[in-house]
Amino acid sequence: MTSESNATGDWSVALQKAQADMLRQWTEMSQAWAATGPAGGGASAAADSGSVPDGPESLGRAFLQQCERYLGVSGSLWELMNRSAAMSDPEQRARQFTDGLAGLQQQFASLWTAPPPGAPPAMAFGMPGMGGMSGMGGIPGLGGLPGIGMMPGMGGLPGMGGAFNLPALGPTREQQESLQRLLQLGARCTQAQLQLSGQWNDIIGRALRELGERLAPRLKSGAPPASMKEIYDLWVEAAEGVYAQAARGAAFVQAQAELTNALSQLRTAQRELVEEWNKQFDLPTRAELNSIHQQLRELKAALAGTRG
Amino acid sequence: MPGPAEPSTPLRELGELPGKITATFQSLQAASTVSFGCSEKDAVYSEDKLTLYHYRPIAPSANLPPVLIVYALVNRPYMMDLQPDRSLIRRLLELGLDLYLIDWGYPDGGDRFTDLNDYINGYLHRCLGVVLREHRLESTTVLGVCQGGTFSLCYAALHPERVRNLITMVTPVDFQTSDNLLSKWVQSIDVDALVAAHGIVPGEVLNAAYVSLMPFRLLQQKYVNLLDGGSDQAQIDNFMRMEKWIFDSPGQAGAAFAQFARWFFQENRLLKGTLEIGGRRVDLQRLTQPLLNIYAKQDHLVPPAASTALERLVGSRDYLALGLDVGHIGMYVSGRSQRELPQAIAYWLQRR
Repeated sequence: MTSESNATGDWSVALQKAQADMLRQWTEMSQAWAATGPAGGGASAAADSGSVPDGPESLGRAFLQQCERYLGVSGSLWELMNRSAAMSDPEQRARQFTDGLAGLQQQFASLWTAPPPGAPPAMAFGMPGMGGMSGMGGIPGLGGLPGIGMMPGMGGLPGMGGAFNLPALGPTREQQESLQRLLQLGARCTQAQLQLSGQWNDIIGRALRELGERLAPRLKSGAPPASMKEIYDLWVEAAEGVYAQAARGAAFVQAQAELTNALSQLRTAQRELVEEWNKQFDLPTRAELNSIHQQLRELKAALAGTRG
Repeated sequence: MPGPAEPSTPLRELGELPGKITATFQSLQAASTVSFGCSEKDAVYSEDKLTLYHYRPIAPSANLPPVLIVYALVNRPYMMDLQPDRSLIRRLLELGLDLYLIDWGYPDGGDRFTDLNDYINGYLHRCLGVVLREHRLESTTVLGVCQGGTFSLCYAALHPERVRNLITMVTPVDFQTSDNLLSKWVQSIDVDALVAAHGIVPGEVLNAAYVSLMPFRLLQQKYVNLLDGGSDQAQIDNFMRMEKWIFDSPGQAGAAFAQFARWFFQENRLLKGTLEIGGRRVDLQRLTQPLLNIYAKQDHLVPPAASTALERLVGSRDYLALGLDVGHIGMYVSGRSQRELPQAIAYWLQRR
């Protein structure tokens, strides 16, 4: 056991060193990007628009984030397996591993729930519980809109939070109703996000159990995975299998649709408020442009008709 | 006593990780300017955002009618001509085929009311007209890819006299097969609300849906796998071309998107025979021309059953379904597809 303890100690040191190296790489790359000047800025702008992460900055960020996650997942699994494999009794070995997996649920779920720092907007506003995994609920740009309290002309309204269910009265009743609708939609989005996060937590938990079931026989027989990459690939395989089932289930489909639909309505309501502000300054609105586009279509169709 | 696996292996992995990350990152940086699209072509027609291209010949003509390739709206067509050794178009040109391709372009806010009638009876119709006029033909071959295949089916059913042969590739026809995860998700989506919120539905929304079909693989593992081949610049270049294509997704004209999602995914009208485009019913029984239906056996986006449903719907007696043991994207770029598919298409055309 002594040598195994040493191995665990070596492992921890190596893991810490790898994490420190990665942090150093982050720093070095960030400095290099900062020094690239206008080209770097252009790449950043492209990333901010949610387009292809093809600039060095966005590319580097995305790549390093995946490496970090890889290290987090495979490192934790390996550490647990290493500890379990050190036990002499095969049954105990397998049980320790499967029990330990349950303890990883929170950590693994958080890898998918928290958007990685610097993630491009298109990925950061995905389905809750997915972090970098943006799903159909991932309507890009939504998260970039100012918060309700920051909407032009609205931040100063008193008692906004308490106005959630009050009847709208007086000269500003139309604005009050718009705000109430925004608040209701915001609450609906939060609720939908919680629902979907719950689904994702469940998926991660089941995936860990599935991994335990797949690996327990190997641990019992003393033939555990030989590398971090192998155990990581097994994790992905188990997780995809569980996800493929869950994502077809009514609860997941409903939760995902509810979030997407709520976000769509919230976005439209936000735009309507912005347009009200635009009107006060006689600025064009989306509604006006839409009207013009419709008229153009009708004119083109009429013109095509006269040409036969 | 069975102990832990060889401790030096993970320790070595950890020790090597920073070096691998640096090497891979440098290769990724070097690959960030890779080019794509390899066959020479000329723009012969354009309208709004659309461009019709004619590929320059690179081999003696096979003396076959020209082929109009109708690509999907949801991705860029350069996937069919990605690089010299991964180009379905190049392989077909080498076999002497005369190829045209519709590039739908990138819709913007002015296209939000463009609908399926505009795409099918408008743009597609006029592009085919250009090809037919150029070659003084009454009809020719149409090759529809993915969603473009669905459009081609609709078009051929509405204008059968202008389509001499029809080839569909990874084309959905039954949008509600039990194995279609994307379809399951779409059923409960309020499409009108989505379109009202965006006008032009961003490509990122669609991409998010696609990668969410296999999130652990497509959003993480495929990048981690790069670490093992990070110093192979050619491999990284290939990866970056693919990455570029996957996320280079045009926004979708809102009206067309809403119609496609509702009529095809949610109501499965093409299969049920209840689809109307431009006020005319799309009756697949009117498809009596030779029909080659190519599908991918490992397709997770358009499951085989979604494509092969076509057989029982069309009126053609000359129908052939050809399944390749590849995935959706592999149909364009896999080695197997490069070897087998162009010859199969040319052979099929030569016998008609």
